[in-house]
Amino acid sequence: MKAIILTTAAALITCGTWAQPSLAEDVTVKLWARADRSGPLRAGNIVDAADQLNRAFEAAGSDTRIKVDLIETNAAGFDADALDLLKAHSVGDGPDIAVAAHEWIGTFVEAGFAANLEDHIADNAGLYADIIPQLWESVKYKGDRYGIPQDSEIRMFFVNNDILRKAGKSEEFISGLPARVEAGEFTMFDWCDLAAEAVNSGAAKIGWVHRPNVGPDFQMAMASFGIDIYNEDEAKLQITRSGLEKYYGWLKYCVDNGSLPADMTTYSWDSTHAAFRGGDAMGKFHGIWNVGAQMESFGLTGPDDYFNKLTWIHAPAGEQGGQPKNLSHPIIYVVGDTPKKDLAAMLVGLASQHVPNTAHAVSTNHTPINHGQTAMPEFIEKGWALIAGTPMLKFAEFMPNHAKIGQYNAITYTGIQAVETGEMGPEEAADMVIEELEVELGDDVIILD
Amino acid sequence: MPKQGRYWISDTTLFLGPAILLLAVFFVAPIFVNIVVAFTDMSQSVRFEDFPTTRQFNKLGKVNEEALLGFELRGSFYRALALTGTFVFFTLFIFNLSFALILALTTTAVPERMGAIFRAIWLLPRMSPSIVYALLWLWVIDSSERGLFNQVIMAFGMEAMNLRLNHPMAVIVIANGLIGASLGMIIFTSAIRSIPDHLFYAARADGAGSLAIVRHVILPALRWPISYITIYQALALLVSFEYIFLIMGPSRSTMTMAMLSYTKSLAPEIGGGQYAYGAAIALILIVIGIIVALVMWRLANMKALLQQPRIEVR
Repeated sequence: MKAIILTTAAALITCGTWAQPSLAEDVTVKLWARADRSGPLRAGNIVDAADQLNRAFEAAGSDTRIKVDLIETNAAGFDADALDLLKAHSVGDGPDIAVAAHEWIGTFVEAGFAANLEDHIADNAGLYADIIPQLWESVKYKGDRYGIPQDSEIRMFFVNNDILRKAGKSEEFISGLPARVEAGEFTMFDWCDLAAEAVNSGAAKIGWVHRPNVGPDFQMAMASFGIDIYNEDEAKLQITRSGLEKYYGWLKYCVDNGSLPADMTTYSWDSTHAAFRGGDAMGKFHGIWNVGAQMESFGLTGPDDYFNKLTWIHAPAGEQGGQPKNLSHPIIYVVGDTPKKDLAAMLVGLASQHVPNTAHAVSTNHTPINHGQTAMPEFIEKGWALIAGTPMLKFAEFMPNHAKIGQYNAITYTGIQAVETGEMGPEEAADMVIEELEVELGDDVIILD
Repeated sequence: MPKQGRYWISDTTLFLGPAILLLAVFFVAPIFVNIVVAFTDMSQSVRFEDFPTTRQFNKLGKVNEEALLGFELRGSFYRALALTGTFVFFTLFIFNLSFALILALTTTAVPERMGAIFRAIWLLPRMSPSIVYALLWLWVIDSSERGLFNQVIMAFGMEAMNLRLNHPMAVIVIANGLIGASLGMIIFTSAIRSIPDHLFYAARADGAGSLAIVRHVILPALRWPISYITIYQALALLVSFEYIFLIMGPSRSTMTMAMLSYTKSLAPEIGGGQYAYGAAIALILIVIGIIVALVMWRLANMKALLQQPRIEVR
């Protein structure tokens, strides 16, 4: 009997504790982030920033606590994720902070999702004064900033030096390649000739590979052929027929000389990565975040080992004397235009500081957002590849922050498919793509020449 | 209200209500939503400012008084129509009808237990998740020397082939056909089983061989199932994109109408998010489906199948 009374009493006390009204005020901030192996700390740094603020509240004797409600999505890529985010926003379920690819800014602003951060950035200059100025360009829409860059990267052509050596190329040739590309002596056609030579000599099974689906990488190859895809004054996308014909003509040249697989556009990502990392392909057209995986699959141990095995070059110029190009594609934090936007922006500001951002950058091979980060010992030790890549940024382009850029890329990609598979010649493909662009994008695209 | 009337209302609500609700929510409402969206300018932000507008349809074709029907289809749409026609025609006649019939005839001709085992095997791909079925196909037709198909043909001294690049239509027809034949197989099998045994005995007694039995006894009995499978599968194939997408991805060579609608509206990474445009393509697909169904209904005289029996045996 005594036991029962005690148990009941214990139960009542427990209930009583639970029933007590909570004095602490919990403020929940919703964070939307795609589960992504190439950047777990994009979300993690926001959670850490909230913890930091909570400790400040605690020290000040305040009962307010910030809770981060992480909405971790499983979208296949940033485009799919942005579409999901816009659906959530359209039914009033949008987050307070979102991790997104920068080119979606335009759409987010037009949809009423993204908050204008100009005032926040001006009021908190101490948090943002060291951010690399070029990166701000990637978050601007119609002149105002609607996001905070979180990381950046450099996209380039990777070359497997061992394959070049096997194909009989001298060390001077290999070490002189980047300089020849920068000087505009080594062109896109030379690239395909070199790759074809590697295949014909038996040193490589495949010449070179590019991404097997729609994506930003192609923009730098298009830029090499003089296609400037964005008209900033009119805030419209643009295309030139002559540039497009040259670009598709180059792809056809590469397929015809055996350096680019005709079915490249039907590859999976896995087989694309395997082609280069497995030592089958001489070149690959992708981004600096590949360095970690390359070190692992080639069994490399440090910077010297790495650059002995691989060379980086920009996308070479389309013709002799032209300018090489590469592409940077920042991932950004967007603050939702919600009642909690001020708090959300503060969390973003704290997460964008040197220490947390370096933790993200060096663990996932992304370039830094603050100037000062490159001087940090951790960066120098672990981020050698990023420091090595930073000078390449002088030829970097960004994707336009235009709402229809995804559609634009998808349409120009159909031309790539048509040319590479042999369905169409370069001129026919250019006609088809221009017709599709005119019809689907209407006033949003300017057709030059 | 008379007592009988009251019962009628409650009985109708009770027995037909769930079915009507189900039809309304899952069948009628989506078509209604699709029609509305097709006449808007809804895109990535899931909002629309313009309604009604024929802007989406203008992307598919344009008025041209010199053209045969007074309008001219745009290249990619014309291509999608042609690919859809090829895909539906070949899958339907080679696999969903002919092959299903062969399967039904052969598995009913062998001893019953063995026939059941064979039919069960043919149903396996139907039972496995589509992604698994597609993955197996990708392994089989892999363009490298590791692909099963290439290993087989190389054993016969042939060169490795890249089927996805050089024969994409054949790939999607066969992949869809092999899985789609199972439905026809089951329907035809049950129809063959329902033919009274004495007809077979009588045919045999009259000296009919196996082929003559198929021609004069079985096929006449399969008239209605064949008509039904033709109409049903034609409609299903018209809107089918699952295996095409899983095996071929957004490839131009297999961009049928259903695939085009999917890639423009819902498929991520390949230009999705144009909801109104996708809905407009889907709406045209619905109209084509209705026309195809009505024409086939008429040709197959399905009305005769569904009419009230003239005599009723109590």
